[in-house]
Amino acid sequence: MTSVGTGYDLSNSVFSPDGRNFQVEYASKAVENGGTSIGIKCQDGVVLAVEKIVTSKLLVPNKNNRIQTVGKHIGVVYSGMLPDGRNLVSKCRGEYQTYMSQYKEPITVPYLIDRIGGFLQAYTCYNSVRPFGVTTIIGGIDESGPHLYMLEPSGTYWGYHGAATGKGRQSAKNELEKLDMATLSAKDAVKEAARIIYLAHEDNKDKDFEIEITWCSKSETNGTHQFVPEDLLQEAKEYAEAKLNEESDDDETMSD
Amino acid sequence: MDHDPFRWGRPSDATYGAYNTAIANASAHGSSANSSEYPKMNTQQPIVTGTSVIAMKFRDGIIIAADNLGSYGSLARFTEVERLFPVGENAVVGVSGDISDLQEVGRLLEQLETETSYDYDGHSLRAPHIHEYLQKVFYARRSKMDPLWNSVVVGGLEDGKPFLKYVDLLGVTYSSPTIATGFGAHLAIPLLRKVVFKEEDVESIDEATARKAIEECMKVLYYRDARSLDKYSLITITKEKGVVFEKNLKSENQSWRFAKDIKGYGTQVV
Amino acid sequence: MYGRLTSNQRNAEELSSYQKKIIQIDDHMGIALAGLAPDARVLSNFLREKAMNQRMIFNRPLSVEKAADLLASKAQKNTQGFGSRPYGVGLLVVGYDETGAHLFEFQPSGQSLEYFGCAIGARSQAGRTYLERNFDEYKTSTSEELIVHGLKALRETLQQDKELNSKNTSVAVATKDGFKIYDDEEVQQWLDKLDTLGNARDDQDDNDDNNNDDGDDDDDSAPKKEEEEVKDEDKMETD
Repeated sequence: MTSVGTGYDLSNSVFSPDGRNFQVEYASKAVENGGTSIGIKCQDGVVLAVEKIVTSKLLVPNKNNRIQTVGKHIGVVYSGMLPDGRNLVSKCRGEYQTYMSQYKEPITVPYLIDRIGGFLQAYTCYNSVRPFGVTTIIGGIDESGPHLYMLEPSGTYWGYHGAATGKGRQSAKNELEKLDMATLSAKDAVKEAARIIYLAHEDNKDKDFEIEITWCSKSETNGTHQFVPEDLLQEAKEYAEAKLNEESDDDETMSD
Repeated sequence: MDHDPFRWGRPSDATYGAYNTAIANASAHGSSANSSEYPKMNTQQPIVTGTSVIAMKFRDGIIIAADNLGSYGSLARFTEVERLFPVGENAVVGVSGDISDLQEVGRLLEQLETETSYDYDGHSLRAPHIHEYLQKVFYARRSKMDPLWNSVVVGGLEDGKPFLKYVDLLGVTYSSPTIATGFGAHLAIPLLRKVVFKEEDVESIDEATARKAIEECMKVLYYRDARSLDKYSLITITKEKGVVFEKNLKSENQSWRFAKDIKGYGTQVV
Repeated sequence: MYGRLTSNQRNAEELSSYQKKIIQIDDHMGIALAGLAPDARVLSNFLREKAMNQRMIFNRPLSVEKAADLLASKAQKNTQGFGSRPYGVGLLVVGYDETGAHLFEFQPSGQSLEYFGCAIGARSQAGRTYLERNFDEYKTSTSEELIVHGLKALRETLQQDKELNSKNTSVAVATKDGFKIYDDEEVQQWLDKLDTLGNARDDQDDNDDNNNDDGDDDDDSAPKKEEEEVKDEDKMETD
């Protein structure tokens, strides 16, 4: 970043001479080191998973949840500055509630994303605010089927079959590309999600972590967003560990 | 009263002075252009209505029933109205009275449920909380002189014990082992109290007995309440089976032989 | 059978009197603060209001997690917009609710996390180190033992020449019977259980023998602020 220190990086509402908004780029930096989050759109639903770095052994295990719900049918996970993420989720919930009171039906996922995308974009335009320091993956089911989107601090959003953000995003993306999303069942997607999070954690290996997985599937959860049941989570973890060991064994034999 | 066919029903001008047409505009409040001399007016009566909700406790839980009729005055206008709302994991809200207000209550409950699901703190939304909340809503609305025109029964389980409590458009509440709203308070309660009179009796009543009593009451209500229907919904909540929702039940074994003995209405000669 | 939680912390001393640093929120919940006390008072008023609302509308105590989340959401907004400064205070939120005993750490950044034990404020790292080192014992500790652990952790955070005494130390406990603060002579009973009251110890590992050396209660006036909490979640005991 050649323009760092030239003063163009101090304010949102000022472009640098080469046409960049540095505040937005810095916000993305905040995301790059956060725990990895991924989303998978499978056959009849979506699966969200996140790597929770355990910073202290005094933290209560399996609390301090990272994946949140909007309405009954939409899940949200994010990497980066967690308080910003929570704020964004409360915005999403506000949108859901407003839509509900006006139209008496749940908001559709694409409409929600569009609203929130516009909202994020507004936070890149004014020097009175800073952009959100999170990249957010939003997945859910509405009457037109499952949806998965990823929103960046700039307000950009795209629809995905598989999305990843946070520190291990690169290796996660590589793995996501190998999946055949169209035929993947929700249960298998949960297992793959666990595997990918375990794999992505290799980039952050010196720290302990927990894994959190939610799903939203027509066949499994009747279209509502929920944490996966304990036994499935356990199964997925075992699957992930087994796969990971397999791979590292392969690596060793290859290098021999 | 004025008996002129074009002015029928209005106070006679001779006695009360000219009819004040501003009364008709009284509810269009808030606009200063409309210089009504009447203050703001809100709901003065329910329009489309649902009749009784009846409920009782038994040993392992509660049972509650309400028919599916929405009456427009005496016209049986809507026959598919659902007046029982399961809320949270083991609670139900049964609503009688104005149907549009019932729909508003339904939306409030859904919102409440959604907001509860946002917290992962393990604090579930149970019948006593729902009842307390509704009581606050009803009382706040009546204090604004704009009531939600309903009476409501909230049932469920709390600490494994049956919970049953009533709240109405005034915010009045009470708890009892048998509760009925509307006409049911006159017709069903005496029958239900034959089965369960005091709180202590609840222990000795099983689900089958309670269900039989409720079914009998629904039938009697259909006989004698002209705003009722023999199609109804029924919910039982027990620890064992949770919330069991049965829809489109029909009052069976009806016998209308008693009707011929009823005198004092219609064209019959007494 | 019951669950219990203990928390304890100490007051800053300001010349002749000490700043109280534990604030009761509701019958079942309280907070301990490190940082700007006025900010803490604003936040405690906010929490009290929320707790009262929960009792008013639902007739139940506010869940501790919800309380921490409400604080966090409120604080986050001050970090993103212009025209307001972030809150200058960290809090420990403790309480006993439907799901047992809870301890949350709240930071001005808008982060709130649930811990088994936590320390915030000046030199709190030493306290956290102690808490982590003795972590395995909490699950089997009684409420009384837990308070002693808390005091020991607190002791670790003292400046070299300072000591714990009943004037600068407060203890608060949240159990199923509610949240209770112990001040002044009420804390002496636990101080008596410590072998030394200062942290100038050459790491002789904690003998629990009650060497009572409550000799010199010197009233030194350097301000200190430390809070420590130890928590023992949902310990089930048969009495």
